[in-house]
Amino acid sequence: MGLRSYIVTRILLTIPTLLLLLSMVFLVMRVLPGDPVALHFEKKAEPWQLENMRRKLGLDKPLWAQYADYIFGLIDINYVLAYGYPNLGKSMQTYEEVGGQIFSAFPATLELAIYSMIIASVMGILLGVVASKSYNSILDHLIRGFGTVTYAVPIFFLGIIFQLVFGVFLRWLPTGGRISSSVEPPTGLTIILSMPSGGFIYNFLLSSIAGLAISAICIALLKVKRVKFRFKGFAISLAVFIIAWVVYAYVSWYFVLKGTLQIATGLYTIDSLLEANPVKFVESVKALLLPSLTLGIILSGIFVRLTRTNMLETLRLDFVTAAKARGLKESTVTYGYALRNAFLPILTMLGLQFAMLLSGAILTETTFSWPGLGRYIYQRISFRDYTAIQGAVVMFGLFVTLVSLVVDILYAYFDPRIRL
Amino acid sequence: MNKVKIKRSILAHLIPGFTSLTKKGPSGWMVILGLVIVLALVVMTAIGPWIAPHDPVWYMSPKIRAPPSPEFPMGTNHLGQDMLSRILVGGSIMLQVAALSVLVCFLIGVPLGLFSSYVGGLFDSTLSLVIDAVYAFPGLVIAIAIAAMLGSGVINMALSISVVYIPSYFRIVRSQVLSIKELTYVEAAKATGAKWHTVLSRYIFPNVIPSIVVVATINFADAILTAAGLTFIGLGVTYDIPDWGWDLKNGWSYLASRAWWIITFPGLMIILLALGFTLIGEGLSELQNPKLQR
Amino acid sequence: MEKIELSIAVLVLIGIIVSSSTMYYTATVISNVSTVSSDVSKLAEAVANLTLTIGNFSTVSLEAIANLQAKLAAMEAALAKMTLAKKTLVVGTTDSVELTLDPAQAYDYFGWCILQQIAGTLISVKPGSATGTDFVPELAVSWNVSEDLTLWDFNLRQGVTFWDGTEFNATHVQYSFDRAIALITKIPEGAPAGLGYGDIINRTEVLSKYKVRFHLNFPFSPFKGILACRASAIVEPTYAPIAQVNYTSGDPRASTPVAFVGPYFLSEWKRIAGRDIEIKLDKNPFYWNVTSQYPKTEHIIFRFYSDALTLRLAVEAGDVDMAFRHITPTDVLDLEDNPNFKVWWGTGAFIQYLDFQEKRAPFNDTRVRVAIAAALNRSSVCQTVFLGLASPLYSIIPPGMLGHTEAFKKLGDANYTLTRSLLKQAGYNNSTKKLKFDLWYESSGHYPMSAEQALLYKGAIEAASGGIIEITLKSADWASYKLNRDNEIMDAAIYGWYPDYLDPDDYAFLYWATWLHLNYNNATQLALYDEARATTNLTRRTELYAQIDNIAVEQCSVVPLYVSGAWAVTTPNVDGIYLDITQDMRYWLIYLK
Repeated sequence: MGLRSYIVTRILLTIPTLLLLLSMVFLVMRVLPGDPVALHFEKKAEPWQLENMRRKLGLDKPLWAQYADYIFGLIDINYVLAYGYPNLGKSMQTYEEVGGQIFSAFPATLELAIYSMIIASVMGILLGVVASKSYNSILDHLIRGFGTVTYAVPIFFLGIIFQLVFGVFLRWLPTGGRISSSVEPPTGLTIILSMPSGGFIYNFLLSSIAGLAISAICIALLKVKRVKFRFKGFAISLAVFIIAWVVYAYVSWYFVLKGTLQIATGLYTIDSLLEANPVKFVESVKALLLPSLTLGIILSGIFVRLTRTNMLETLRLDFVTAAKARGLKESTVTYGYALRNAFLPILTMLGLQFAMLLSGAILTETTFSWPGLGRYIYQRISFRDYTAIQGAVVMFGLFVTLVSLVVDILYAYFDPRIRL
Repeated sequence: MNKVKIKRSILAHLIPGFTSLTKKGPSGWMVILGLVIVLALVVMTAIGPWIAPHDPVWYMSPKIRAPPSPEFPMGTNHLGQDMLSRILVGGSIMLQVAALSVLVCFLIGVPLGLFSSYVGGLFDSTLSLVIDAVYAFPGLVIAIAIAAMLGSGVINMALSISVVYIPSYFRIVRSQVLSIKELTYVEAAKATGAKWHTVLSRYIFPNVIPSIVVVATINFADAILTAAGLTFIGLGVTYDIPDWGWDLKNGWSYLASRAWWIITFPGLMIILLALGFTLIGEGLSELQNPKLQR
Repeated sequence: MEKIELSIAVLVLIGIIVSSSTMYYTATVISNVSTVSSDVSKLAEAVANLTLTIGNFSTVSLEAIANLQAKLAAMEAALAKMTLAKKTLVVGTTDSVELTLDPAQAYDYFGWCILQQIAGTLISVKPGSATGTDFVPELAVSWNVSEDLTLWDFNLRQGVTFWDGTEFNATHVQYSFDRAIALITKIPEGAPAGLGYGDIINRTEVLSKYKVRFHLNFPFSPFKGILACRASAIVEPTYAPIAQVNYTSGDPRASTPVAFVGPYFLSEWKRIAGRDIEIKLDKNPFYWNVTSQYPKTEHIIFRFYSDALTLRLAVEAGDVDMAFRHITPTDVLDLEDNPNFKVWWGTGAFIQYLDFQEKRAPFNDTRVRVAIAAALNRSSVCQTVFLGLASPLYSIIPPGMLGHTEAFKKLGDANYTLTRSLLKQAGYNNSTKKLKFDLWYESSGHYPMSAEQALLYKGAIEAASGGIIEITLKSADWASYKLNRDNEIMDAAIYGWYPDYLDPDDYAFLYWATWLHLNYNNATQLALYDEARATTNLTRRTELYAQIDNIAVEQCSVVPLYVSGAWAVTTPNVDGIYLDITQDMRYWLIYLK
């Protein structure tokens, strides 16, 4: 099977998996004990209050009706256009849109995940390579020991030790939160757009530059693909030019009408750089350091061992000996030849670890009071907030599926044997 | 084959098997080290109640949050309980929960995997899809959700942890069986008229055991860490049962008063216990990996 | 190790050292500069806002405009001279507004706290009140109550304006209460529903422009307490549609319907994902009491911390001038020893109690309940678990409140003899019939130190019984705990309560509350209770509550355990804090020296 059909099959398979996941969460939530209705009443609750609340939360409808509502809500396109995220229902605790809450909590976890993965993979791979090069030496054993021990450390314990040392005793870094309370969260890049004096026509004319640029890229690509330019190529590039021109004109006019262009990724480190505010950047990095170090060190263990094992195998292969015999530098051989070939399983592991990340993130986020998806889910469980938990788990399931999809496709791209 | 003969052959493998481990290089030493650590901790927990200097729960000294001293070598916690006694006794709940959850996972995941991959076809594909969906669940979320809803107690904790790990057993067993069942001697067994349960139990299952053992040890280590995590969040056993997880939870609350000893010692013990199992698992998996034999 | 790894490692190390030292030094310098500059710009903005508001008036007289302009000029002069530090109070807290600042919905502590600073009620409790029942005029200047306690007339204060210039009068009072009652069906979890406004108030009648009358359905002497609580805050109809007012991102004025008739103006309110990020209060120039120098501090900035550890570290680092709720007993005692901080101690109103399920054995037998109650070692628990910052409680009504007694002291504290004799009477003994039951506690931190309390009580009860009693500790998180309570599966459970309004009426009913599902009924206590709420004679009420307590000691349906203390930590230059039994922090009284 070719690469294309492999990709298509994999993408199609994700839909039933997600549907199944969603249904399972839905059922499990409603079957197990715990009642979001009663939790709204800290003190007394008369029966009529509970009844009203039940109706207000939509829990008085039969189970299949609730399920149908939920599924149909998910595929509601108007909602997506209006809000920018799918309809995941309203939180049973705060009545806010679950989609909105998840989308504001998600960037926090994403930021933590990205930086932890960077720390974990860089540290893990480097240490693994070093260990494999000095097989059976003391350094090798030390690094192997490190790789094994990190797996056995409870995440929250490491986090608390870091809090103790760096937050309480040394006072260098904050013990919780995404950014110090004395500094406002960064808002990203805000550009105030002014209306061009010639109105829409002027904007339209200017957009021709964008159209030209995009069609130039298109022509270059066509040349690379060696398409005969005479008729087909010309037609394609003309069509691209006109479409790009029109689309760009309308899109840019839409943003001009809005007045301000806000580019915010939700990642505080990047947003503060976009905002060109060094104080916020420093504060967000300070707050990010301990949690990402905790998660990163714990995750690096498995990268150390995997890299070491794979490198040990690869370094024994003939082509490595041949490369060394040809007189190539040691570092080129290690990184350019051996690591490259050993990299594929590491890539798969990266994908798998992203999935494990949420479990680790829940404990890290609770320890460091990091307002991300993990802590969100944990709080919502204590509130028995069905819609929120469903939404968060599905969101995360989607994320995991996407990541594993990307990893699988990359794997198939690099290794033709998999596509069969 | 006689059941007696099987038992004898297993025993016959165990003892020389153990000594042969020492000859297998660093991986063998890993396994031995792991076994020693685990055994030492189990023994310590078992005789803990007798060698502990004070009652780990009911003895409350007026010297609360006292740093390590000759009287209290590991200090006292916020209620005046002696940390050393709590360390000696506190591993039992974790061991019980982990053992129980491994047992449950084994009893459910392995037969399911064996049966499903042997039968194959639609049944196998649907079950795999369901298990994959469960696998996509963030594990800790399930554990927390179930523990929150079932309440405190060893059995509830074990149940919530096992639900998380059953998919791993299933997948490992299934992938192993898929390759084993194509082997010629299995075909031969089927050709000679062996029934499906005989084929599974006598031909396929023994080949799957090595990988199951590895998964089980890693599962043990994970279960210990998850049990600690659950108690840390407050969903573990009640406070009248000494548990390292409780000390971690308490230690966190008293961090700001610089009482580092409340959290450090229990944490190190948990690391040690999980490390023991991880070493066994890692060592065994390395031993089985032919590519590393030099 | 190869050269390349070595060089990478060295580079990373150098990078870490360089970046961390730069971060440390630049951050401190830059942050100081930026806080000052942002403060200045915020004040300039506030002045600009005021000028804008004045420009928006269309129906205000010239005199009023001149007055306002004079005020503005005075403010600007003060601004020019001021030193920023003394006019801003930074408060750290772990609380957060739960949902909205709409009085028809808000039922959480912090929501009520903010509402108290920005809204007004007809009457309020005098700061520093010893009993919580000294009511002073706020938006009402005087009142009359009919003989039968069903007609309450209030004369309203004249000349009070909302921020948009509307003058406060009786129609606003009527609208506020009608709205609160109308919204009860739509907001069953809100304060008016929980406090029973629909049951208590029949209707609100406007007698004249500045006179309003409440018709009650039954004689209810604690009505003043109800009027003083934040669910009775007055709203302005323009901003209070007959639907709930929710948080509106970026617009504090649209996020609450109370139109700022209190000492402060909500100038900024930012929330992300249901947690507050920033709340800023600025002095309200239209406050009716502004001539008496209130509010004493012009700006209040709330900083929100995620947990007690971070809050304590912030206090120690000097990030906040004041920290209130929640600092743990250990931390506050540590801070008390620190000369850089001042700890304020006050009266608490949060209580915890032990209740018994009476529909089945063993607690359907009164003797068993009394035996357990006698075995409790409250003082020891308060000392060990709460480090002495909680006080043993011997009546369901806490000290400092009308009707408090020491009734349960009759049973003694850790009274072994009584326990054993009662158990023997009930037929339990060490060999053939042991008393076994489950003691439940809440495990997710909803109540403080639940696990430790349960442990100590278990130890005490088992010791007191001489081995006859065997207790199994059980725990559940809050959601399951409530479910278990409603399903009546908990033999004995530790529960808590804090009041909505300060009247023994809001405590005494706990002995037989139906929503506790204890299957306990006592017509005598109920009759005494109804009589007590129908009279304003304080001596008579005290007698009645004492009688209720006496019956409670005989029955032991609900056994009070402790009442918590209250405390706040500030820097030494902060003054004006009153921690009275209302548990309210009146920020307009606080000033920096």
